[in-house]
Amino acid sequence: MTASSTASRTLPILDAHGAVDHAAGAERFTADVDRTTWHDGALWFVREKRDRGAASVPEWERLRDLASAIKSHTLSRLDEYLERFERRATARGIQVHWARDGAEHNEIVLGILAARGARRLVKSKSMLTEECGLNAHLERHGIEVVDTDLGERIVQLRNEPPSHIVMPAIHLKKEEIGATFHEKLGTPAGLADPDALTAAARRHLRERFLGADAAMTGVNFAIAETGGVVVITNEGNADLGTALAPVYIASMGIEKLIPRAADLGVFLRLLARSATGQASSVYASHVHGPRPGQAMHVVLVDNGRSTQLGRGDFWGSLKCIRCAACLNTCPVYRRSGGYSYGSTIPGPIGSVLTPGLDVRKYAALPFASTLCGSCSAVCPVKVDLDQQLYRWRQLVMAAGGAPPLKRWWLRAMGGVLADPALLQLAGRVARGMLRVLPPRLARRLAGGWGTGRALPEPPRGSFRDWVRANRPGRS
Amino acid sequence: MSAREEILRAVRAARVATFGNAAPALPSLPTVGEWPGGADGAQATRSALVDRFMVSAQGAAARVVRTTRAGVAQLAASVADSLRVDGDGARDPVVLSMVDAVHGNMAVPDDPHELATLDLFVCEGEIGVAESSAIWLPTSRLGQRAALLLATEVIVVLESAAIVADLHAAYAAVDVGRESFGLFLAGPSKTADIEQSLVIGAHGAKGLTVALIDG
Ligand code: SF4
Repeated sequence: MTASSTASRTLPILDAHGAVDHAAGAERFTADVDRTTWHDGALWFVREKRDRGAASVPEWERLRDLASAIKSHTLSRLDEYLERFERRATARGIQVHWARDGAEHNEIVLGILAARGARRLVKSKSMLTEECGLNAHLERHGIEVVDTDLGERIVQLRNEPPSHIVMPAIHLKKEEIGATFHEKLGTPAGLADPDALTAAARRHLRERFLGADAAMTGVNFAIAETGGVVVITNEGNADLGTALAPVYIASMGIEKLIPRAADLGVFLRLLARSATGQASSVYASHVHGPRPGQAMHVVLVDNGRSTQLGRGDFWGSLKCIRCAACLNTCPVYRRSGGYSYGSTIPGPIGSVLTPGLDVRKYAALPFASTLCGSCSAVCPVKVDLDQQLYRWRQLVMAAGGAPPLKRWWLRAMGGVLADPALLQLAGRVARGMLRVLPPRLARRLAGGWGTGRALPEPPRGSFRDWVRANRPGRS
Repeated sequence: MSAREEILRAVRAARVATFGNAAPALPSLPTVGEWPGGADGAQATRSALVDRFMVSAQGAAARVVRTTRAGVAQLAASVADSLRVDGDGARDPVVLSMVDAVHGNMAVPDDPHELATLDLFVCEGEIGVAESSAIWLPTSRLGQRAALLLATEVIVVLESAAIVADLHAAYAAVDVGRESFGLFLAGPSKTADIEQSLVIGAHGAKGLTVALIDG
């Protein structure tokens, strides 16, 4: 895979005004029909595992209510919990830093590394550092950054961003990963066995772990009461990094706070089951201070979160614990792929978070949904994703952010739907037209929806006629 | 204004704008035993908890061996033996043990990098969770926590009397902030990042054996 063909597959498609064109990105993805079907199936498989995990816990719905209530409460006092966390963490020998935005975060991290003369950094999965563009910043300053989560290492070796927040390389086939490893790690040509490829990555990354000057992780939860952070992985890469390196930096968004350690009983029971269907992740590490001789830092990052907290309709998106269940269940995500969103976080949660950063650029994302509500139904912390998507659509339309044709069409539709006589007439015309038009042309009139679909036989009469005939006295 | 002041001020203004005086209360958590942990009933018997733990461990790809304190040494010897390298470059397995019953051939090093060649690590868990087979391991029971990740095989000794129904009971029983590090461990290291195929032994231990002691 050459760099340019990779880039052309992963870069967001922008329209003439620099806004993300999700439909065009989805078209690029679905051009490969087999891959689309396979991607859809792989994610549905994870969704089914999630269902079995949830069904194994009789008190599941109570847990969701509790998790949502704990998060709502914490967000309603977030400044107090942040200060409490800072106080307790500092007392434990953890150095706490504050960053208003991504650039400030990157400067803080670079400063910590530079002060220690650290040049080799191992990093475990953190969507926050993706959001901040940390890797590129550090590399520009001569620091070698190695992402150690297997999926993240795969996409890093390919110069791609993650396409999913839990399974970063879900868009790739094992043959493609084998080709990348052959080129970058020297595995035999044609090797595509997941066990063998994982073993090769294990050997390659062991060396990086043992040679690292510093380790970074994201944070799943930060406990205000105790001043500690919780980092969760299945691979053990976060722990291997922090157990060896003399410097440890944990970066977290300010919304990751929870009040009490015991709250973790609720969140951990939900998180692994929602993400992968597992009863528990393998390593749920609680870090309350540096190892002897180690320096430990926590960077608290705002980067738009306080603004989102002040939005009455959208603050609930900050409850998110990044399980990705809403991505896995979303019929649009599954069939359009993570790159079509042009946003660090794709899928339903990305589509309600990212417009908050730049509503013009990401105006298309709230429309990348069928509003079926499946996302809200699976969300372990009860983020009202479908409501927020709908609300963003209203805001985008009000701001004139929709494409002109869509605007005209929706206004015309609104007029027709509001006028019963006009609606009846339109129905009669449509039924007549569908009978006489060649199917190819009729499908075109159905817009993107018509692509790859056959239109049903148009009914003879309207629903209104049917009710009159079959349910006398009801019309 | 410092970043800290500016962020705190923005957060305060935002939460007042969103919640006003109607801030949602912090809910109280379920009391231990409120949820029976499945179909076992509120007073799950010890043997029901152990059974549940064994099923969960299987789901997490961990091996459970029911044994006695005295039996742990033998178990460790057989696991170590499976890691012996014969022929070219023959060497004895490197064993680090944090439990009295097992004698290792390596002491806890000051520098964790010295654990790079560790074959077997043996330690003792504090609390086991029946619903997930997660085991609480505070740093005092690990020595260097890198041992848990660098060893090819790990044995965790656990008293069956230390098994509780669920995570709520576990968090009630442990003080997670007592030491600078502690973790819930459930099974060996794993990944499914290549086409959703489950592979055991991503970065950490390739095998986890729980030595369950019926005291
Ligand atoms: S919004 Fe809910 S379902 Fe989606 S990633 Fe966040 S917690 Fe998971």
